[in-house]
Amino acid sequence: MSKRTSTAPTGERQERIWLAIVVIAFFVFMLAPILIVVAVSFTEVDYVAFPIEGFSFRWFYRIIEYEPFLDALIVTIQVALLSTVLAGAIGVPAALALVRSRSRYAQALMTFLLSPLSMPMIVLGLGLLFYLSWLGLGISMTSLVIAHAVVGLPYITRTVAGVYRGVSRDLEESAAILGANRWQVFRRVTLPQIKPGIFAGAMFSILISVDNLPISYFFGSTDTDTLPVVMLSYLEHQFDPSIAALSTVQLILAVGGLLIVERFYGLRHMGAPA
Amino acid sequence: MAVEVDHGAGVAIRGQAPPAYSPVSLRWVWPAGLFLFAFFLAPLVEIGLRSFEPSRGAEEVYWLVQYDRLLLDSFYLGVIGETIGLSLVTTIVSILIGYPVAYFLVRHAGRWHGMIIFLLIAPLLTSIIMRTYGWQVLLARRGLINETLIDLGVIDTPMRWLNSPEAIVIGLVHVLVPFMVLSIAAVLQGIDTSLEESARSLGAGRLRTFWRVTLPLSLDGVGTGAILVFMLANGSFVTLLLLGGGSLQTLPLLIFQQFNTTRDFAFAAAMSNVLLVLAIACLYLQLRLIKRRGVVG
Repeated sequence: MSKRTSTAPTGERQERIWLAIVVIAFFVFMLAPILIVVAVSFTEVDYVAFPIEGFSFRWFYRIIEYEPFLDALIVTIQVALLSTVLAGAIGVPAALALVRSRSRYAQALMTFLLSPLSMPMIVLGLGLLFYLSWLGLGISMTSLVIAHAVVGLPYITRTVAGVYRGVSRDLEESAAILGANRWQVFRRVTLPQIKPGIFAGAMFSILISVDNLPISYFFGSTDTDTLPVVMLSYLEHQFDPSIAALSTVQLILAVGGLLIVERFYGLRHMGAPA
Repeated sequence: MAVEVDHGAGVAIRGQAPPAYSPVSLRWVWPAGLFLFAFFLAPLVEIGLRSFEPSRGAEEVYWLVQYDRLLLDSFYLGVIGETIGLSLVTTIVSILIGYPVAYFLVRHAGRWHGMIIFLLIAPLLTSIIMRTYGWQVLLARRGLINETLIDLGVIDTPMRWLNSPEAIVIGLVHVLVPFMVLSIAAVLQGIDTSLEESARSLGAGRLRTFWRVTLPLSLDGVGTGAILVFMLANGSFVTLLLLGGGSLQTLPLLIFQQFNTTRDFAFAAAMSNVLLVLAIACLYLQLRLIKRRGVVG
């Protein structure tokens, strides 16, 4: 282009400075709406405004006192835990089987197990509502748990498969040669090595379940409303800072969960479906 | 008679090398496979079947009646167009914002790498409600953005940001752009920098090197991210509901409304099917892209 190619360091520094400005702007964009909600949750007044007026914890008390939130929180936790246990019980064995399989169908089966990730949630929710009603399960806790397990399953399968792929076969083979039977090898050798993957996959599944709105919405009733569903209907009628306080609490819990995942597994694997 | 095929036996038949030992048999796939068959595939088939039924109360017997309504009516064709158009705009904006960030992350971040990854992932775990609520506060008539713009003298009177297509795009990009950054970064990471160095030493400038070497090599990552973002944007409705105020009508929003108010389930099923076809097309493209990368890499 020009003669300035030889002054590479200057060009490189300029590039870095410009990109750094873009990246800082990017993170302002990413964090602003989140931080503003955290700020609003500490306001003293009844309306939502920024900068906030006064400082108080009244909206945190409000969410504890407002019964629908508390009921929904209990439902949300139950659904998240039960669906994760169900998804883990079937997803972990499947992931292990597919990673070590030489079958030519293994790849296709894995694609099938991960395919719920690619389906629009709203379509899946509507379909499951029709189908589970037809089965007689209708709008119930059972339906909700099944629906959430369908969504959580791919996350667990993918995470466990990722970890097991990195585990060397040598230990398992050695144990077998030394006389351990299959079950012993699995219990004593395989399981301890894939534990971080199971743990991280379960954590993803829980976090995804807690935030799920498109599916939970279809199965909503006074007994089965999850937190996002209640929050959405609250938002449609009122716009006071209690939703902000509730979001802040959720954020703290999610970041806590994230740090635990990072500790056991690393976040690199969380991005796009592989 | 069905032969109980254990690990070694199946192989002996095909005469290949014996497989490595594994304590796990392929049969362990069955529970998960059957579960998804029963509660993932079957519901999708159910939606498919429903979409060929007449609406409740209607007497039509023609099996494609719902698709007639959906695909031959200019309003609903417009809705499908807006759904795809919105996803496309969201995808393009995400590429334009995401690419420089991914590039910085891979080439310049240095010790900030972990920090940037954390900042990218953390918002993914805040609830969708929280983020939409945050934008409602920011974009409000007397919100921070309007006040700042007035203070800076850019505008005189507050602009109407909320309930507009722009607000929807802002909200969607905010939710989806991390996926784009991570997809692009994953591919950029694998590019051999010696190719760029060669281009430079042969006399190409920085920009030219980028356009002719780096960008073409990273297009796979852009493609992967674009399909993912497009797919997720296609199915989103919370953002549209809370930030759009009806300024755009898309398929997920109409499905939501059909379920809530009109309760015309057959029609909702037909709309779901159109979304499903779009999703399957995306999934197909995604698999092809992964396969190609597998061959090249």
